[in-house]
Amino acid sequence: MSRPLEGLRVLDFTHVLAGPFATRCLADMGADVVKINSVKRAIGANDPLHPYYLMWNRNKRALGLDMTHDEDRRLCQSLCEQADVVIDNFSVGVLDRWGIGFEKVKESNPGVIYIQMSGMGEGGPWSNFVTYAPTIHALAGLTYLTSVSGREDIGIGFSYNDHQAGLHAAVAILAALEARRDTGAGQHIDVSQFEVGVNFAGPSLMDLFANGRAAEPTANELPYDDACPHNCYQGLPKGEGTLGERWIAIACMTDSQWQALKSVMGHPEWAETADFDSVAGRLAARAEIDAGVAGFTANHEVYDLMARCQAAGVPAGVVQDGEDLNTRDPQLALYQFLHKIEDVSPLLGQTWADRLPIRFSQTPCNIYERTKAVGEDNVSVLGDWLGMDEAAVRKAESEGRLQ
Amino acid sequence: MSGPLSNVRIIDLTDEKSIYGAKLLADLGADVVRPEPPAGDPLRRRGPFKDEQSLWHIFFASSRRFVCIDLPEDQSLFHNLLTKADLILTGPEGFGVAETDFDALQADYPGLVVVDVRSFGREGPWKDYLAPDLVAGALGGAVATTGDADTPPLKSFGELNFMVSGAYAGIAGLAGLYAKRRNGAGQVVDVSVHESIASCLEHVLMFYWYHEQMMREPVLPRRGSLHWSNAYVVFQALDGGVMVTPTPDFDRQLAWLIEEGVQEDLIDPKYDLPEHLVERIMKTMDILKRWVATKEAEPLFLEAQARHSPYGWVIPLAQMAENEQLRARDWFTQVATETESVKGPGAPYHFSQTPWALGDYGEAHPISDVMEDIGWEVAS
Repeated sequence: MSRPLEGLRVLDFTHVLAGPFATRCLADMGADVVKINSVKRAIGANDPLHPYYLMWNRNKRALGLDMTHDEDRRLCQSLCEQADVVIDNFSVGVLDRWGIGFEKVKESNPGVIYIQMSGMGEGGPWSNFVTYAPTIHALAGLTYLTSVSGREDIGIGFSYNDHQAGLHAAVAILAALEARRDTGAGQHIDVSQFEVGVNFAGPSLMDLFANGRAAEPTANELPYDDACPHNCYQGLPKGEGTLGERWIAIACMTDSQWQALKSVMGHPEWAETADFDSVAGRLAARAEIDAGVAGFTANHEVYDLMARCQAAGVPAGVVQDGEDLNTRDPQLALYQFLHKIEDVSPLLGQTWADRLPIRFSQTPCNIYERTKAVGEDNVSVLGDWLGMDEAAVRKAESEGRLQ
Repeated sequence: MSGPLSNVRIIDLTDEKSIYGAKLLADLGADVVRPEPPAGDPLRRRGPFKDEQSLWHIFFASSRRFVCIDLPEDQSLFHNLLTKADLILTGPEGFGVAETDFDALQADYPGLVVVDVRSFGREGPWKDYLAPDLVAGALGGAVATTGDADTPPLKSFGELNFMVSGAYAGIAGLAGLYAKRRNGAGQVVDVSVHESIASCLEHVLMFYWYHEQMMREPVLPRRGSLHWSNAYVVFQALDGGVMVTPTPDFDRQLAWLIEEGVQEDLIDPKYDLPEHLVERIMKTMDILKRWVATKEAEPLFLEAQARHSPYGWVIPLAQMAENEQLRARDWFTQVATETESVKGPGAPYHFSQTPWALGDYGEAHPISDVMEDIGWEVAS
């Protein structure tokens, strides 16, 4: 059976990560995502030759448009009439200037779902602020909270919120499609990446409002629930320096898991006090427990130790890096989660993809097409969406358009 | 309910790994029934609390109808409830999940969409591994990427890993529903928490795959707030942190430093040459660090943004309630509980026609009340 979103037409004006991740998810599930790009804008993260662009734009068809050409702008308006979804993460107002703002598109395409993923949303004193994920992490409280108290801020080491803004946009689009089925009408969706980020501190914000308690960073401890030990511990290193370190996360969520960990450790004397039988007793001696566990893990190879802990019922996991995910992880290998894209890029050679983490039993999503160059699919897109013949497309290209 | 999913019936049997997905759909107007045992949902014991009530649960279990079901006594009622849904969201520790064969149920009721969210999928040597958020984040690659050389690898605050698997669960359910609307057939849809986390690591897989092309190492060490591009970092101002970056326009940043008289030798024409770009970034960051240390965080952030520079003030949670952008958008939202009203986060997206809204938060009711209330037939 075909993929779940087969036939859904998405016109994609997004760039960098948050927007392209939303449409990547739809494209992986079979939507016909047409990525608009132009040679003039194809620099840095917008360059199809940049690895960053490769990561987020597989499974999309590439259409080149030069919006300084009247003819290309007119074509763009025609494409908007055919789209189920129009999505952008430009600054507020750019698409309006191109004549494809929501109000304009709605006139000829009342079913359109038109989603804008700006940093701050439409309206408010910060509406025009320029943001990347590190900006949003800082403003949303994520940087402050993911840290160690008493030292300079650390924050999340990757653009978490960009991915999440993309996933939330995908949720919103699919929900709007369900509503359209009932009403026939499309709508406008305003996503503020900032609000998506603030939302993640939900319970802490409620604690702030209800109790006046403001959460502080807790390193690897849980802010509200009692668990000990609950930290990352060093195992036998694999090499020199920070990158040669090996760490294992151990999280005893219950007293019985602590008892099981004691068995794995061989019942060392320091752990045998009855004070540690209860989580309250362990929390009161957290530093001692952490030191004791670390003393134990230091002499162990972390993958072996993880297997022993898990066999005994202790939640434990190796702190895996990108190399481990690719070379050591048996789960990812089993599901071929990280794989080579068959169609080798004429310009870049071999490229890779991570699989959609959703597995449909009846509508499997196993197609991974490589990321395309600007305008690579001009003929097929304009043929399928607008009925243009190839000669007309090639003529426009020869006149310097569609690129 | 006014949301886009107001014609969708969902049974929520999620655990901590996927409850956020059920929340996303519930707040979009779906009629979501969350059963729990007579002793109560174990997730009602998650902190923080207001008096005896779990604020964690009020947030994650928003907009639900809670029903009390006593298994195995109420088995036929439970089964009947399941068969009336459009969509069932499950996690291994969710209510009734261990007692139910969802593959068989789906085969008997082929219109059902069942989303099954597990830590590592159904197969493989780790399939039964216990993976609370810290362990899931460690194995998935998020923890290795967070922290500094002098700290352990760090877990992100709260449940950020399970909010990723939750978001994918929401997408899985809605995509399954979309396919069903097209061809009439439901299906079982699996989501792997492990893969979900690994799919949202920004540069981590890119570095391993393309490091030669990028002339970088395959794995980056833990490096505090410094972004993989080297161009974004948090520096300490007089009264807190500011995320500082000379991007996207290095000349604009330089002009500002010249205005401030702290440009040092950055005006040397050699820095315009591409081969000196890395040196220029390093030098700029070095100057910015010392310059930021003389400034106050919030005014510096606002001044940068007035100049279209994407600085970000590292806002402590304590100050989030006063945030002028959120206040102007009237963003924070009240949830009515049975005893009072609690303020919390608002909508992550704003629909022009079918607005997001939080339903009331109430105690669990006997299943017969709910069944009758929503007009579902109760098997005798």
